[in-house]
Amino acid sequence: MLAVCITALAQASQVTAAAPPESLEYAVKATFLYKFANFVNWPPAAFETPSSPVSLCVLGNDAVAAVVDQAAAGQMIGERPIAVRHLQAVSADSTCHILYVAVNIPSAEAEDAVRGKPVLTVTDTSRATMGKSIVSFVVQDNRVRFDIDDAQAAESGLAISSKLLSLARTVRPRP
Amino acid sequence: MLLGETKHPRRKISASLALLSALSLILAGVLVTLYEEQLYRAQKFQEIGVQGQILGASVAAALVFNDAKTAQEYVTALQANPELEAAGVYDEAGRRVAGFARSDTDPPPERAPAVTSYVANNRIYAVLPVNQGGAAVGAVYLRANLDSFGRRLVRYGGIILLVSMGVLVLTVSGSAQRALTLANTRLESQARQLAASNLKLQAEMQEREKAEEALRQSQKMEAIGQLSGGIAHDFNNLLSIVKGNLQLLQRRVAQGRTDIQRYLDSANEGVTRAANLTQRILAFSRRQPLSPKPVYLSQLVANIDDLLRHSVGDTVRIEMKLNADWPVLCDANQMENVIINLAINARDAMPAGGTLTIETANHPPSHSRMPSGDCVALTVRDTGTGMSEEVRQKAVEPFFTTKPPGRGTGLGLSMTFGYVRQSNGDLIIESELGKGTAITILMPRYVTESIPVNV
Repeated sequence: MLAVCITALAQASQVTAAAPPESLEYAVKATFLYKFANFVNWPPAAFETPSSPVSLCVLGNDAVAAVVDQAAAGQMIGERPIAVRHLQAVSADSTCHILYVAVNIPSAEAEDAVRGKPVLTVTDTSRATMGKSIVSFVVQDNRVRFDIDDAQAAESGLAISSKLLSLARTVRPRP
Repeated sequence: MLLGETKHPRRKISASLALLSALSLILAGVLVTLYEEQLYRAQKFQEIGVQGQILGASVAAALVFNDAKTAQEYVTALQANPELEAAGVYDEAGRRVAGFARSDTDPPPERAPAVTSYVANNRIYAVLPVNQGGAAVGAVYLRANLDSFGRRLVRYGGIILLVSMGVLVLTVSGSAQRALTLANTRLESQARQLAASNLKLQAEMQEREKAEEALRQSQKMEAIGQLSGGIAHDFNNLLSIVKGNLQLLQRRVAQGRTDIQRYLDSANEGVTRAANLTQRILAFSRRQPLSPKPVYLSQLVANIDDLLRHSVGDTVRIEMKLNADWPVLCDANQMENVIINLAINARDAMPAGGTLTIETANHPPSHSRMPSGDCVALTVRDTGTGMSEEVRQKAVEPFFTTKPPGRGTGLGLSMTFGYVRQSNGDLIIESELGKGTAITILMPRYVTESIPVNV
């Protein structure tokens, strides 16, 4: 059986196209941040009502944090709007569903603060010291990809869709 | 010919019936085929739709995160389904992200077509939206090839072949059934005819039995008639004896004498003898059904000695040679009748007088003229005129007689013959013109443990 696979599909127009400019890479990461919400299930107690917003917390300032507001503006996850909150510090009382820790801030403290809470922690592997975030951005073959620590997600009471797991570069499976 | 003409239309009707059912079966086959085709199309349509949904769900994340490579992996996996001709995955903006097309077929469209599903040119087209979290994130496009018409025809050819075979079998078995029914009907009518003729035959046999019974009785009465001359004479003699004794008695009583016992005894004896005689005639003439019983022929002949002597008269001498002591099975009354008839015939053959000999004898198998073992022979022999060979041949035919009108019915010997054959016996006539006739009745010996002695 001869089959012709059409793989060269308008690659030029893709955001993951060869040699993306730096600013594009950050925009993609910022977009991914809120898009993760589509594939994550929080426990019901995490939201007050079905239309309560998804709280996207950004800790610190870096190139990604700078474009998050722009990327998430007006986006909806089902009936929930995206609410971006810029924080200077994270405590156990902070209401976050997704927490992005900027590359210039050590992540361990923030991660410890939300340990055991249903918060999807996201960070970038380009940082100096790696923490224990659930999702870690990584650039491979000029494409923005990510690793997922599903075991950590399970500890936090989050369920990550297998669709998202299938896209991850590596997955640390839940026990 | 008439039967054939009446059968023809029925055969025509059943032939057209068979044709009709064959046609309707073929029609049913075509309808079933069309229905199957419809089902097949609907099923394939649904199948492709489901595959589109699965593909959409699988590539949703890849579309959301612009992961064309992963989307392409999912699309490539679809090639395992040989029915799929082409597939495409489109992002939210309608751009094609991944896809495949088999060689010699059109590639999936560059831009996402409008969401729709339809069948055209023997192909199923399905364009489905890809939803994630309630929002459309892209679309998938599938194109599947239905079986070629030729292949489908081959598939349905099986059904049509089966239906045709069914029609053939029905037709053949139907005509066989028809032939069987026809043969059965013929047999049935034959059986009915046979039963009817059997009934008719039985009725005729009953009629005949009645007639024979009446004939036997009339024959007996004829014998009585023949006897009556001699009997009247005897009876007169007996009355004379009684009358003479009574006259003598009257004279003795008038004289006052007492030696009258002799006359009383004589008169009494005469009365007793007359009574016996009438008793015998009455017994003889009584109408009785045939009831075969073991009978000793010698004893039977001895018992009717008186009657025989009265019937043949004074001019004929009777000789008895009764040597048989084996029993035979027959109706005693009828046998008496037969012997008296033969005796009367013998008397008639000897108008100038002669000797009538009645013999009985045992015939062991070595001497027997019967096919089956022992028998008893009874012969009535006269020294009369005898018969010519021609007359002898005809002697047992009904209504054949050589006697003048009013003297005989021509049924005597005929009935005797019938009776003897009925009792499993045989009748032999030997005669010589001018010398006399001997008629022999052969009866099979009756063998049993105990034989009643009374006759």
